Amino acid sequence: MKKILSFLICLLWSANVYAAVGCDLNDPDRDVKRFFPNSTGYKTEYLSVEKAGGKELYNQMENELGDNFSGIYEKIDVPYTLYTVLDNETPVGYIHGVNQKGKYGGMQVFLTTDTKGIITNFYFQKLTSKNAKRLRSSDFGNQFVGLSLADFKDYDVQTGQAKNGSKINAIRNPAPESSDDFYAALRGVKKNLILMQHFIFDKQEQK
Amino acid sequence: MNLLTLAYKNLKRRKIRTGFTIIGIALSTWVLVTLLGFNKGYEQSLNKDIDAMGFQIVLTAKGCPYEAATLMLKGGTGLRYITESLFDDINKDMEVSAATPMLMHAEFDPYKGENGGTIVYLGVDNKTYPQMKSYFEFLAGNWFKNANAREVVLGYEAAELEQREIGDMMLLTGSEEEFTVVGILKRTGTQDDGMIFLPLKTLQEVFKKQNLLTMVGIQLQKEVNATAYEDKLYEIPDIQVVSMAQVKNTIISLVKSAKVIVFSIAFIAFLIAVFGVLNTVLMSVFERYQEIGILKSIGALPKHIFAMIWGETILLCSGGSIIGIVFSYLFADISENLARLFLPFAPNGSLIMLSPEIIITAFTAITLTGVLGGILPAIRAAHIRPLEAIRSDN
Repeated sequence: MKKILSFLICLLWSANVYAAVGCDLNDPDRDVKRFFPNSTGYKTEYLSVEKAGGKELYNQMENELGDNFSGIYEKIDVPYTLYTVLDNETPVGYIHGVNQKGKYGGMQVFLTTDTKGIITNFYFQKLTSKNAKRLRSSDFGNQFVGLSLADFKDYDVQTGQAKNGSKINAIRNPAPESSDDFYAALRGVKKNLILMQHFIFDKQEQK
Repeated sequence: MNLLTLAYKNLKRRKIRTGFTIIGIALSTWVLVTLLGFNKGYEQSLNKDIDAMGFQIVLTAKGCPYEAATLMLKGGTGLRYITESLFDDINKDMEVSAATPMLMHAEFDPYKGENGGTIVYLGVDNKTYPQMKSYFEFLAGNWFKNANAREVVLGYEAAELEQREIGDMMLLTGSEEEFTVVGILKRTGTQDDGMIFLPLKTLQEVFKKQNLLTMVGIQLQKEVNATAYEDKLYEIPDIQVVSMAQVKNTIISLVKSAKVIVFSIAFIAFLIAVFGVLNTVLMSVFERYQEIGILKSIGALPKHIFAMIWGETILLCSGGSIIGIVFSYLFADISENLARLFLPFAPNGSLIMLSPEIIITAFTAITLTGVLGGILPAIRAAHIRPLEAIRSDN
């Protein structure tokens, strides 16, 4: 009986290894507190481009990104999880993650912003790269702090180039031999900021 | 006006009471249909899950249960293995129709989440494994080209999470080598959906587990007695034998105890409903004491009164059963989700399988019990003396 139960545990466990396919925080309670130590709580919302604006918004976002969405993680109905961080009842920031295709595997690029859309933290929740350690270092992540969608507007995700003087050009790749992953990360950040703009800040402006 | 119409009109005269009685019967029917459907669905889904494993018997190294826990807690350190020579011996056995060696390997990925996580790889033989898992279908691509290829096949969910397509490269945690994605499986609804498959030899070589295996899957010749063969395997030292039949029986016995409790509750609910019907109809007979007396005085025979009262019971029970059957269809998903919450092991696929036989059985059982329960009030009504009834105050 014991061995059969253990065998079942083996089976069930392996089934659960990849059970979660959405881009949620692995441990929201811990992660929210880590990014916003003074927060008192958070609110979770599940959003999709389909619900937020349909095909029209989807096309608009592709234009803003400067690249076509592709793959199963960039479909119109992909569910996104938005964490609105609260101090008592007042929103003090947001946490939002996206999946991005990396050279050797999926990346999960999370950003935290203040209520105006300025990046306060950059976090690779998942990353498969030959230089994962360097790309996950705080030195790399800190380069995104203070940037916003406005800074990424002239950044071309296909060529990896931005206009002269752009703040994006100042972001240093800590692992030049893993340039594919570096550019994938930048694409992930731009896509994340565009989604946050439409999911949060556009709505706030409309109000 | 026939007696059934009269019975229907009588029930309509007491709408609230009739309504509540019907709801009681409907709830009992709902429970009964759902339980019968669960009885059928659970076993079928479990059989499907076990068959989907493709093996009749799985051999692992003794002590694996504890290592399974280790695998979860320590990221795969300290696993126990069996040697490939054992697989070779089994494969030569005339009683075995097919056998496949497997090596499961877990690596701790420090770059998964804040504190890292475990990744599991399954090394399989590119010739025997696909034969055993013949029901696997590819969404794209195919199995590995050769036994030493630096290639991976991904389960559906693994491909989703890793965002891999055919031809994409993959880096496996614990190795510096690059692997090419050559196949993505269609969703199977089993644990295989989340698996990263590699050629066995490659996995052994990359993770330095030469000649080691964690499992051997066995299929026996049709004429071979599986139990006798298992007994033979038990004689091999340091080996643990898990037969799929055993696994199935264990799960069924786990669920059986839960079923007994639920069936008992259903039986009580069923009895309550039957006594509810009896009480309702008996009350209505007492209330209509004078009315029945008048009916008899104007020529109604005891058999007419009996049929009228009995008709009311039949209408209540059949109406309630039909509503209950509709409920069980409408709320099958909710019932299934609830069952999944409480079951010790819930297989994939539909847990509640409603079929015409189940519906007919439940309808007949409830209506027949109602019919039997209606006999007493009908006899009481049939034996009312007209003069006595008319003279009475009630």
